[in-house]
Amino acid sequence: MPDSYLVHVAGAMRSYYKDFSKYAKGREPSQKVAWVTSFTPIEILDALDIEYIYPESYAAVIAASGLEQPLLEESSRQFLSCDCCSYSCCFEGCVETGKGPRGVPPKPDVLIATNNQCNTLPGWWNILAKRYNVPLIVLDYPGEFTEDPIARAYVEKQHKDFVLKMEELSGNKLDENELAKRVENSIASVAAWKRVAACRKEREVPPTLLFDNINFLITARCKEETSLIYNLMADEIETYPECDKSLTPLFWIGYPLWYHKDRYLTEVMDGFRVCGSNYITWWNLDYEGDTVWDKLFSAYNNTFLNLSQKTKTERLSALIAASGAKCAVTCRNKSCKCDYVSAKNVGIPQAELEVDMIDREYLDVERAGKLMSILKETIG
Amino acid sequence: MKILSMSGFVPEQICDTVRFTGFDGSERLSHYCGYAADFIAQVREDDSIDGAVFPKSCDSSRSIGSYIDDTGKFIYSMPVPAVRNADSVAYFAEILKDYKSKIEKHYSVSISEDEIKARDAVISARNAKIAAAYGRLGGLSYASYIREVHASLSAPYEFDESRIEAGGSGKPVFLTGSFLSGVELADFIEKAGLKVIGDNTPESGRLASRAGFVSQESDIYRKIASEILCTRPSPTQDLFDETIKSDIEEIRKKGCRGVIYATQKYCEPYDYLFSAYKKALDEQGIPVLQVQMADSTDGNGKAAALEAFADII
Repeated sequence: MPDSYLVHVAGAMRSYYKDFSKYAKGREPSQKVAWVTSFTPIEILDALDIEYIYPESYAAVIAASGLEQPLLEESSRQFLSCDCCSYSCCFEGCVETGKGPRGVPPKPDVLIATNNQCNTLPGWWNILAKRYNVPLIVLDYPGEFTEDPIARAYVEKQHKDFVLKMEELSGNKLDENELAKRVENSIASVAAWKRVAACRKEREVPPTLLFDNINFLITARCKEETSLIYNLMADEIETYPECDKSLTPLFWIGYPLWYHKDRYLTEVMDGFRVCGSNYITWWNLDYEGDTVWDKLFSAYNNTFLNLSQKTKTERLSALIAASGAKCAVTCRNKSCKCDYVSAKNVGIPQAELEVDMIDREYLDVERAGKLMSILKETIG
Repeated sequence: MKILSMSGFVPEQICDTVRFTGFDGSERLSHYCGYAADFIAQVREDDSIDGAVFPKSCDSSRSIGSYIDDTGKFIYSMPVPAVRNADSVAYFAEILKDYKSKIEKHYSVSISEDEIKARDAVISARNAKIAAAYGRLGGLSYASYIREVHASLSAPYEFDESRIEAGGSGKPVFLTGSFLSGVELADFIEKAGLKVIGDNTPESGRLASRAGFVSQESDIYRKIASEILCTRPSPTQDLFDETIKSDIEEIRKKGCRGVIYATQKYCEPYDYLFSAYKKALDEQGIPVLQVQMADSTDGNGKAAALEAFADII
């Protein structure tokens, strides 16, 4: 019987959730625990044997489980504005009430936030730091807004200081070879994921499968098994039937709608097929450089949302061109001011939908349907 | 050169800038800070403005460049450090040098270090005067004071306390929040029988804190960088604990009976801070009123809430 990626997915999930309250049953984690944002250089943590948990991802899981509404309401009672990122509102409700589909994550020993995707996350991590009274480390990535030599020196120094702090926390000493190994694992994960994502142009690949399974590139990119999972997945997807070329190819710009069973608006997209998405490329980090420090700088300083508008437009336009899309849905996400503007000047007709990635009550489905009809008429 | 600048993170010492205080513009972006949208509108619609400089410090400001990069004007997005230590000061000093060189290139001008030092002396003198007036807020009209502060944020950077009206009596309160572009709010506060005797706003309490700061840096860029980064912090510097602690100390010391938390709608740094701030004030038994402004010209319509708050405290 051929090896299936699903077996490895189950193992990876068990490993990630092992210390959540539903499974740990009061047992303390054996490792130190860091709560991290989704573009944290986790290679360093992994090499130092520190467990890392992603509150953003868990908020997505909560919404996918249909449990977000009472938790969003609870966060309002905690004086957190509903204008804030709904990942944070949903998660805040979870840790306040102790309710979540897999319980609550193990308590953090340290909180690590980065600003290479948005500036919301450090703010959110500040209130987590108040709640748990643990150290908060903010890693500051200037992105493309600073000339390379200045940014490189600044980021490299922060990475090295970060190592010292994490060595102190974990009681372990960093072996640079182990770090290099994690970076190589991440590079392999990105390459394997690109193989998976490339299938969507020709094969009948449900977008749901891509939106859900990018999770491992986010939460476990430096683990050895992640590239194995993705390569097995790609092997399997390559055998899928050809996609229906009679449907209009559409590019999905923005986050998946985590609360939706399909993660996108299937109910208003009759006649379209999703042939691409920028979200599934965000963690295709580019570990370029000779040394491990150069590679970490390149990967984490130059994340998509940390690039200039010019570069973002070039990259997004190239992605859309490669996908063969004739039109796009652009999500005006209530929770993310940074992503929407990425879609400026991409050169194809777009339907702009007011959505939120977590809060299912935010969307006006009827209006979305009308906008999709207009899009259909526009492209003939 | 007429560069529109946003935020106290933008140094006033490198060249003359026009501090953005408000604009009745046509840009409206959903779930986006109205203050930042009005800044975008002024850069796009005001022909007298030929440049823009703004920080990359919150979600709205980090994407401002995306909305104005086609104007052909001088555009500088300043990557302000999100952390505060010696390394970030050194880094920010390099950013200030880069900012200077980009201005020189765009406007074909030369800015000498002596000019920057001379400008620094002017700014320091103004900050000292603001700090002195801030220390005497009990005897001044806060609305009149804040208007004088706003006028001093652009050349020739003159602040004259004698132009500030004397203040009447009122229940003492502390004001915290974002730039008070809708200055009418200060009038409404006074009309409601409240008297602001301390604040933590970018243009007042935070600027005043720079006057007492003694930099150990001999390099002028590092001196400016340390002054901007190491004085009373903005919520975007991720020092919520320090902000809350120092505000509560001042509130207690001055005997303020309540706090007005005035921010822009869709301003996430202050929204996150509020969650922690409100809990801390509740623990201390200090009442707080949150007032949200829709955009840079919104200072009206809060009378009923302010009067009710005055009754409560």
